[in-house]
Formats: sequence, C-alpha cells, structure tokens
Amino acid sequence: MWQNFKNGFIKENPVFGLYLGLCSSLAISTSLNNAIGMGMCVTIVLIFSNVLVSAIRKITPDEIRIPVYIVIIATLVSIVEMIVHAFMPELYDSLGVFLGLIVVNCIILGRAEAFASKNPIGASAIDGLGMGLGYTFALVLISVVRELIATGGIAFYNPFDATQIIFGFNIEALAPYTVSLFSGSVGAFLTFSCFAALFAFIKQRSAKKEKEAKK
Amino acid sequence: MNKTVKLVIFLGIIAALSGLLIGAVNSVTEPIINERLLASERENLEVLFPGAEFVPLEGASDEGGYVQSAFEVSGEGYAARIETTGYNSSTPIQLLIGFDQEGTITGMMVIQEQETDGFGSKVFEQSNIDTAYIGKTLEEQVDLLSGATVTSSAVQAAVTSTQAMIAELIG
Repeated sequence: MWQNFKNGFIKENPVFGLYLGLCSSLAISTSLNNAIGMGMCVTIVLIFSNVLVSAIRKITPDEIRIPVYIVIIATLVSIVEMIVHAFMPELYDSLGVFLGLIVVNCIILGRAEAFASKNPIGASAIDGLGMGLGYTFALVLISVVRELIATGGIAFYNPFDATQIIFGFNIEALAPYTVSLFSGSVGAFLTFSCFAALFAFIKQRSAKKEKEAKK
Repeated sequence: MNKTVKLVIFLGIIAALSGLLIGAVNSVTEPIINERLLASERENLEVLFPGAEFVPLEGASDEGGYVQSAFEVSGEGYAARIETTGYNSSTPIQLLIGFDQEGTITGMMVIQEQETDGFGSKVFEQSNIDTAYIGKTLEEQVDLLSGATVTSSAVQAAVTSTQAMIAELIG
C-alpha cells in the first residue's frame, strides 16, 4: 500500500513520469498559489472518484463503464467547483476555466480505469491520494521555479481570505533580473522539460542499479 | 430483461444520483456565491436604489458585450454595470445604470471615466446625464452631445445594447 502511495511521486509521477495532465499543469503553474489550489482540487476529485469507481466496480456493466466514470468525475468536479466558488472566490478567479477542466484531466479517468476499477476501496483511495499529491508536487516544483524567475519572489496566501498572506518573500537581488517570459507558456515548457529530463535521469539510474543488483 | 434496457437503467440511476447530489450542493453554495458577487457592487447599487434587495442575474449579457454584470432589483426594476471605450482607449468608461420595471432609465452613476476634460467629460456632468439619459424609455435612444461625439456615441451604443438586454429580461 505504501508502494502505491510512493509510486505517485517519483517513478509514476503523473506529470513527469506518465506525462498525464500536462495541459493543466503547464497552464496553471504560474504561481505557487495556483499550483497548490489546483493540486488540492485535483487530489480531492481523484480520491473520491477512485473510491466511488472502486465501490461500484462489481456492479458496473463493462460496456458502459467509461460513461459511468465520466458522470461520476463530472459530478465531483462540479461540486468542487461550486464549493471553491463559494468559499475561495480568489482561487476561483485565478484558476478560471481550468477548474472546470479538471473533468477532462486524464489522470483522473486514467486512474479510474487503470487502478480503481480493479482494486478494493482502501487501496484505490490511497492510490488517489498518492497520485493527487504527486500531481501537486509536480505543479509546486514548476510553479516555484516559474514564479521565482518571473517575479523574483514567492507569495502564498490563505485561500479562504486573500488578504492574509501565509508566507512570502522577495529576493531583492533578483528583482532587476526577472524574466517575465517565465509567466507565459514558453517558461512553462522550458521549466517542464528540465524537470522531465531530471526525472527521466533519476528513473534510468535507479533502473540500472536494479539491473546490476540482479547480476 | 433485455441487456440494453439494463444498461440504460444503470446509467440513468447514476445520472439521477449525480443530479441529486449537485442540486443539493448547489442549494447550499448558491446563496453564498450570490452574496459574494453582490458584496463588491453593493456600495454603488445602494446609491441608485437605496435600501433595495438585489439579485445578481448570472449569465446576463447583451449583444454588444458591454454589460459586465446585471442585477434584478426586487420590486423596483433592474441595474446593469456597463463598460465601454470612448476617446481614452486606456481607461474604459464604467457606468452603472438603473432601470425601472418598464425599462425606463431612472438613474445613472459614473463609476470610472477619464475622458478629455471639457469635451468628453461633459457627457458625465449631472445636467447632461439628467437631460440625455434619465427618463428614456426602452424605445427611445439616448441623446448624443455635440462637442463630445466620440464619447457620447460610445455611451449611446452601450446603453442601446443594454436597453435591448433589459427589454429581453422584461419579456
């Protein structure tokens, strides 16, 4: 079970390992705030969709399983969207259309089809949590680099009350050298590709080690 | 039982349950969302309709795309916040317009404008607002102001488009 959870971070990190959910992670990773907000929303949807799909896996007719999953995911996303709109309006505004687009995030349907439909509820919940946190982790990595380079600082505010900054800092020395390019899509691709290369390197090295150990 | 019928029933049940769930959550969150939308505009709305109840009309939009937000004022009429660009292309003109239940303009409030002093800005002087805009019914076009053609025709186009939207709301 721990293995399921850990998998989501490095080896099968949905973003850097499986290249799933790239569209949203490239678009939304402009600031740490968006990254954490989006990550949490996706994690919640993932856990619940995995649990529900797993709970009805024995009575779901095989022919219509995909429509059933989509209905479940769409329901969860709508609920999350309404709750965020009501209680975290600033986050709702900054995530914009991408909040609703969680519905087509392939991580969620992917995990429902590949894992939750074949495994018991508990394991599916853990898998959802691991994958969701793996996605969040990836978003945080990209967004920290992008926000730092684009603005020269990091700011993270309380999602329930935007006036309350939980932590933030500005590096004065960096201020004259900010590259606003990094807040755009070009910066997203550059940052993403560097991290993807790094993760591929780590994966390859650990695979090599395993091979040698077998010998 | 026929296999297809079974599938239809299963999917139907899932869809019905999900609809029920969304409805339940919506009934909790909707008043909070409306309250939030309202809070940011209440101060200005209170000037046009003191002490009234406002209900945001989500999704209300006019053909020209000038209307930013619209409200139903219970028992009194409608209000719409519009934005248009006059002579000053960097600072758009923002107006709040009040309509009574027949669609006649009862009030207009300038939220933001930086039109040329002495020319475009004349459009927003109270005496001109009173003669050119207040009391116009849905069928009447608001007046242009000579010497401020660009600004007043921009406002005219926006108000005409808003009037059409209000006419549709009244039905």
